[in-house]
Amino acid sequence: MGTRNDARNCISRSTRILGGEIIADDVKTDGASDTSHLYDGKTVRSSAPSRKKAAGRLKSSTDIPKDAIPEVHVPSWIESFFGGPIVSSMKFLPANRTVTNLQVSSAGILVLLTALTLLFTPVSGTAWFAIANLIGIPIIGGVIHILIMVIGAIGGAYGIFQRDQRALLVSYVAMLLVTLRFAGSKVEFGFNLLPEEEILQKVLLIAYAVFLVMYFELTNGIIRFSMLDTSIRTGEVYVMGEGKIIRQYYRAIGITPVVAGVVALLTLLINLIIPAMVGIFDSVQANRLRESVELTSVYGVALGTAMVFTVIAAAFAVNLPLRLQQMQEGRANK
Amino acid sequence: MAWSRKSAMFAALAVAMYLLGLVLRNQQLVTVAVVLLSFLTYAAFRTNHADVASSGRRLEDADSDSGVALQSIIAMRKLSSARVFEDGEIDVVLRIQNRSTLSKVLEVRDRVPEVMRIKKGANYVLMELGGRKETEISYTIEAPLRGFYTIGPVCVRVQDAFGLFHNEREIQLYDDFLVFPKMEDIKDALIKSRVPKIFTGAVNIRNPGEGTNFYNLREYIPGDPMKKVNWKAWARSGKMMVNEFERDAVSDIILIIDSRSVSETGPVSRNSLVYSTRAAASLAQYFLSRRDSVGLVTYGDEIVSVDRDTGKKQLYVILTKLAGAMAKGNTPLKVVTNRILPHINRGSPIIILSPLEDDPTIIDAVRDLRARNFDVTILSPSSLEFEFDARRLDRTGYEVLKTERDILISELRGLGANVMDWEPEMMLVTALAGARGF
Repeated sequence: MGTRNDARNCISRSTRILGGEIIADDVKTDGASDTSHLYDGKTVRSSAPSRKKAAGRLKSSTDIPKDAIPEVHVPSWIESFFGGPIVSSMKFLPANRTVTNLQVSSAGILVLLTALTLLFTPVSGTAWFAIANLIGIPIIGGVIHILIMVIGAIGGAYGIFQRDQRALLVSYVAMLLVTLRFAGSKVEFGFNLLPEEEILQKVLLIAYAVFLVMYFELTNGIIRFSMLDTSIRTGEVYVMGEGKIIRQYYRAIGITPVVAGVVALLTLLINLIIPAMVGIFDSVQANRLRESVELTSVYGVALGTAMVFTVIAAAFAVNLPLRLQQMQEGRANK
Repeated sequence: MAWSRKSAMFAALAVAMYLLGLVLRNQQLVTVAVVLLSFLTYAAFRTNHADVASSGRRLEDADSDSGVALQSIIAMRKLSSARVFEDGEIDVVLRIQNRSTLSKVLEVRDRVPEVMRIKKGANYVLMELGGRKETEISYTIEAPLRGFYTIGPVCVRVQDAFGLFHNEREIQLYDDFLVFPKMEDIKDALIKSRVPKIFTGAVNIRNPGEGTNFYNLREYIPGDPMKKVNWKAWARSGKMMVNEFERDAVSDIILIIDSRSVSETGPVSRNSLVYSTRAAASLAQYFLSRRDSVGLVTYGDEIVSVDRDTGKKQLYVILTKLAGAMAKGNTPLKVVTNRILPHINRGSPIIILSPLEDDPTIIDAVRDLRARNFDVTILSPSSLEFEFDARRLDRTGYEVLKTERDILISELRGLGANVMDWEPEMMLVTALAGARGF
């Protein structure tokens, strides 16, 4: 698309022409019909369009052509920082069955997650607890703690049913914020009704973590499937075998958290796994390891993470996924 | 394997929580981080599993080539036509084959040029394609603007169920097609050559000879065919009279298109070049249909010419050149006329399609042409109107430029050229009639 010099340039150029000798005084252009001298005696009925006429005509049709103004989205500074819109402004059509199912599941998970958060996250060790103690009104710490959880729950519920991504974002932040506390290497619970046994405690912790991740994923799924459904219904995308695709998602949502939970359990129980393995060779060393503060603390978990993820990294390094696929294809070919 | 924004956020969150957990000695945070990392790792593992190997071929070559058995996704495309006129439609059939034994969830996007509109169907398909199965995606595109276009490549994407990671391949499958400028039906262009050729054509040139229009009566000369005898005139005058007809003859018509960058001033679909190419296509069709030979010259950053010729083939040659005319450069008209004048028969009609802007040599060039007795017709689509309609030009600027343009047109008319200030709403036939003084 071309552009034109600005009006000032145009004016100066025109003035130059008008002021110079280019104006042909000998060419008579006064009347529309007085052009016979130009065309071998023939009278020309058309003349150079007059400005008045043009201006008059243009008044009636000054609609902007559709392609004249491109749609431009000016990103906000936060969008620029992250490289695109954080929260999509897409308007969704009414929820279909898949989206409704996801909404109900998300709401269920949110209820469980809120309950578990309430059980697992005591106010002690949080920043607001410290501030409340500092000003001498400890109850404020508890109130803020509960308030953050309520914001997380209500924001989540609103976000789930209204499919509002901003509310969901607020809920995620609240749910994570409430867990930020100094715990001092000891698992503490908000209530004293929970079991004292270590494995059970860790299983419950993993259940909490899995629910949190499931909550992230399911609420994200609501938005994804709403977008997909809207795109299908507006003809932007065509879907073949929609049922199969949705079934695959449901299957993944069932399997992946279980796998993630098992991996996390292996990581958290490293203080039991390592002594058990060492115990095969040396029972004294195994006992020492069992009583080691480092292994039972959060640093033991760090060691476990390092070990488990080293194994996973090795699997990726030898391209295990592709080998598995080739194996499966080879089996199918037979 | 590529990361989505979601997976990147999850990973960043997991790492941050993990580190914070270690710092705060908070097992709860570390546990959440570990679960999140495990979740991501498993999704990545599953995505890598769903590898996409792909190749692309045209549908016509599909049977002859069997050397792609190892690659699992194959795309083939067929177009209903490789040449259409503006606003024409092309049906596209894209066949996707899964040569793997494993079923795959694929996102397929057949890339179409941005200016094209999808009229029917969709070029973006999400599908579950079973092992050793194939499917067909059909859609129709509408081509609103002339030009050379390419459909492709085909983008195939496999991603995990959560949309965390994806594998993407571009199947290098391309199909080219050509969109010709649309044509207006012209009944009469009112343009005749003063120096017709000796071959018989469809234009009558006011000389007696073979033709269809009555010219005059003359006395019978032995050898005249009996069908030419005018029996009534014979009865009236008593002498044997025969009808004479005006000779139909062919002429050379030269179309000169201004494709300098200034000719694209205005919106994409409404600018001087778009109007000029459409007018040139219509005129070429008209003149070729009456058996004239038509030549084309386009000038922008270089001078491209199509030598004069007749027939349908010539029409397609001209249409192809017009489809590919790009607004570039700033070659003056004088350079063009100097280059082509030695190769054109004197007196041949020359039709110039130009916005008459930013070229100080226009007057000189037209003076030269007129001095050599060429019949010059100038159709000038006014970019002022396009810009004013698009509100890119304010009233003062418009008035000033309009005055300047009016002066230039008057001067060109003074040189004996037939000039028409062609406004966007005006039909080509009307503009031509206006230029020729009717």
